[in-house]
Amino acid sequence: MTDPTHVIHSQQLTKTFGKVRALDGLDLAVRPGEVHGFLGPNGAGKSTTIRILLGLIRATGGRVELFGADPWRDAASLHGRLAYVAGDVALWPGLTGGQCLDVIGATHGRVDERRRADLIERFELDPTKRIRDYSKGNRQKVALIAALAAGADLLILDEPTSGLDPLMEQAFQNCVRERRDAGVTVLLSSHLLDEVEALADRVSIIRRGRTVTTGTLADLRRNSRTSVHAVTTEEPGSLAHAAGVADYVSERLDGHVDIRFTIDAHHLDAMIGTLHAARIHTLTVAPPSLDALFLRSYGDAPEARATAATFAENTR
Amino acid sequence: MSADHPAAGPHTQGLDTMIGIVWRTRRRGILIGVLALGGSLIGTAAAVAGLYDTPSKIHTYAAAVTAGSALAAINGHVEGIDSLGGVIQDEFGFLASFLLPLLGIALVAGSTRREEESGRLETILGGRITRHQPVLAALLVAAAAILGMSVLFAAGLVVCGVPVSGAILYSAALGALAFVFAGLAALLAQLVPHTRGVYTGSLTVLAAAYVLRGVGDTTKSGLALLSPLGWAEKAAPFGDQRWWLLTIPVVAGLAAGAGAVRLAGRRDLGSAVLRGRAGPECASRFRRGPIGFAAWLHLPATAGWLAGAVLLTAMMGALSRQLLDALAGNPALTNAMGVAGDRPLDGFVAATQLYLAVIAAGFLVQAIGTLRAEEAGGRLASRLSGTLSRSRWLFAHGTVILGGLALIVAGSSLVLALSTAWSVGDTGEFGAIVSAGLDYLPAELVLAGVALALFGLWPRGLGFAWAAFAAVAFIALLGPGLNLARWVLDLSPITYVGGPPRGAVDAGSLAALAITAVALVMLGFLGFRRRDLSES
Repeated sequence: MTDPTHVIHSQQLTKTFGKVRALDGLDLAVRPGEVHGFLGPNGAGKSTTIRILLGLIRATGGRVELFGADPWRDAASLHGRLAYVAGDVALWPGLTGGQCLDVIGATHGRVDERRRADLIERFELDPTKRIRDYSKGNRQKVALIAALAAGADLLILDEPTSGLDPLMEQAFQNCVRERRDAGVTVLLSSHLLDEVEALADRVSIIRRGRTVTTGTLADLRRNSRTSVHAVTTEEPGSLAHAAGVADYVSERLDGHVDIRFTIDAHHLDAMIGTLHAARIHTLTVAPPSLDALFLRSYGDAPEARATAATFAENTR
Repeated sequence: MSADHPAAGPHTQGLDTMIGIVWRTRRRGILIGVLALGGSLIGTAAAVAGLYDTPSKIHTYAAAVTAGSALAAINGHVEGIDSLGGVIQDEFGFLASFLLPLLGIALVAGSTRREEESGRLETILGGRITRHQPVLAALLVAAAAILGMSVLFAAGLVVCGVPVSGAILYSAALGALAFVFAGLAALLAQLVPHTRGVYTGSLTVLAAAYVLRGVGDTTKSGLALLSPLGWAEKAAPFGDQRWWLLTIPVVAGLAAGAGAVRLAGRRDLGSAVLRGRAGPECASRFRRGPIGFAAWLHLPATAGWLAGAVLLTAMMGALSRQLLDALAGNPALTNAMGVAGDRPLDGFVAATQLYLAVIAAGFLVQAIGTLRAEEAGGRLASRLSGTLSRSRWLFAHGTVILGGLALIVAGSSLVLALSTAWSVGDTGEFGAIVSAGLDYLPAELVLAGVALALFGLWPRGLGFAWAAFAAVAFIALLGPGLNLARWVLDLSPITYVGGPPRGAVDAGSLAALAITAVALVMLGFLGFRRRDLSES
């Protein structure tokens, strides 16, 4: 099943470790040139999937293709086209950062030396320090620079920003966008919703080794609720019972009416009209965040709210 | 430091808590270390007691080992060797010189700098623990473990029939030896930034102590008294019994420990006096390739094994003249040592080559253990996420390890041949000495095969390769002395080599060993190509 329309394509992928079922029918389709967010709580199977894609472990069942080939059998040749950043970056403590970049670079084949130098500057890395003397964040930078400097068609990033400060996270996001603009495909595994939101064109949300939902952010949002916070001069009479409105709360504050509710995206237009009639003082309309998508995706399970709440908390 | 704290309450409470933490996190390793060391010491003592059960046998042994200073260099100069305790002390001489200091070092290094480096210490110091308490607790737990081992060993010796006072002094001297190195490790843990440095520093001191003691014992000078190993030996538990000599290691250990505690209380967390310097910004072309990278990875350990092997062979070779002189004047001794015949040097060379074979086998198991460490540390996954295939990766490492083996065996054999020729003024044995070293290669590779097969098929079981090595080393070093049964000797591949140049080498046996080694290596390769990487 050679499939030129996808860089990564897995169907009904399973992997068991002894009695533990780490992947239980995972579907993942990543198209050329997109940044694909790969979301799920810890232990959902993100890293297991990535390790299968890299040919480090072998799938128990199902089908998986990388650039239309078998990632286990053709591991070494396929790796010429990708670069990888592990979630828990492991490097050689006795090498300097610069030496590590070169050693990793050598296994990728093509390294853009100009970009390497540029990235070292942007990430403010001292390449003459030994890995064992680096902080966790600096080790992460080494792995990121190595991957971003490689002339790869596909970047596989497994929770790449753990340990980076917000400034460096920003630098990372800019770099990923630049790579995407240069035509590189990116699989971005993360449990940081805002990071995925900032970068991803499409996302796949997985839980317990299964794909829960997948699509563009716009798709996912279309079926989710937008939250609205408005302060108006008068009470907008019919709004509480209007079509598509839920979670409606209003109170009087300092002579104004403070209203909060959520609404289906389809009914936004009518709602704005009603609010306008009540004379808007301030208005905040927040599109559904990935947090909300997550809550919805997990909504079918009994423990869903708890899981999603913990999950949302962990990402703060 | 007590001025900073309210007198008793929280202060000692923190120490109690810290001791509890050290014990709970390390008790398995401590118990295994203490029991394994104590048990093997007692087991060997019992075997010696069973073998040398009459005064005349003990006398023959004593006469054999006191001839020439070659054995004194290795095992030490044992006072009162003409007794059961003396024989035991002599048999242990070599092993105890390394195992007890290693116990002390490992007990402390694992719960001081390693914890600091990993960041776990930071978590602990965030609680009600004062900065100096972790190292103090580590030292107290180490001292208790060493004391427990000493008591166990003393009891075992008494059961074997060694006089009580001698047994107690000997065990106490060995315990004090371990304690000195525990103190040293604690001090080094304050000075260097990484656990690795603690081990490197302590082992360097240990090697120097061993050489100092060896030179002191062969030249009969006072040099041995400068070495911690000499302090244990000169306490003469089965001779004059100098109890007062124990104060030296105890005071030295306490001083080093107190220095460590004081430094720990005053320095910044995560800081070290000796810091690493900046290194090159780029990797050389050679190091970027699979072979060059593997060579870089194995270089430090290989250099260490090579240094040990060269030290041993150079020392033995240089002492061969003295041995010949001792033999020339004493035909009875010649018979007792089993080196009769017109080539008296052969037995001596054969014994040295046996030690060298154990060193080479240890190198191989350790080097293959490095591969597993790369995998378990996640670095192998980084390595294989590029265009390097598994087979090429393993092949590159195999090539480098084989090169290291050739360097260690051929290099040390050459050193032995040269130093022997220099010492006796005759190059007649040159070829025989070198080829004896090479004859052991197939047997050594069988052990490498075992380790590699485990790596390929059952990576988590790689510890069994070390168990196999321990058995091989035990059989090689103590087997002949303890008159072990034939079938036990036959368990070790090294037995099949035949003990050249004294014994005859059977080409068929070597071929069989080589075929076994190749089969095991292939099994390892195939297994590794087919299995999942596992980091747990």
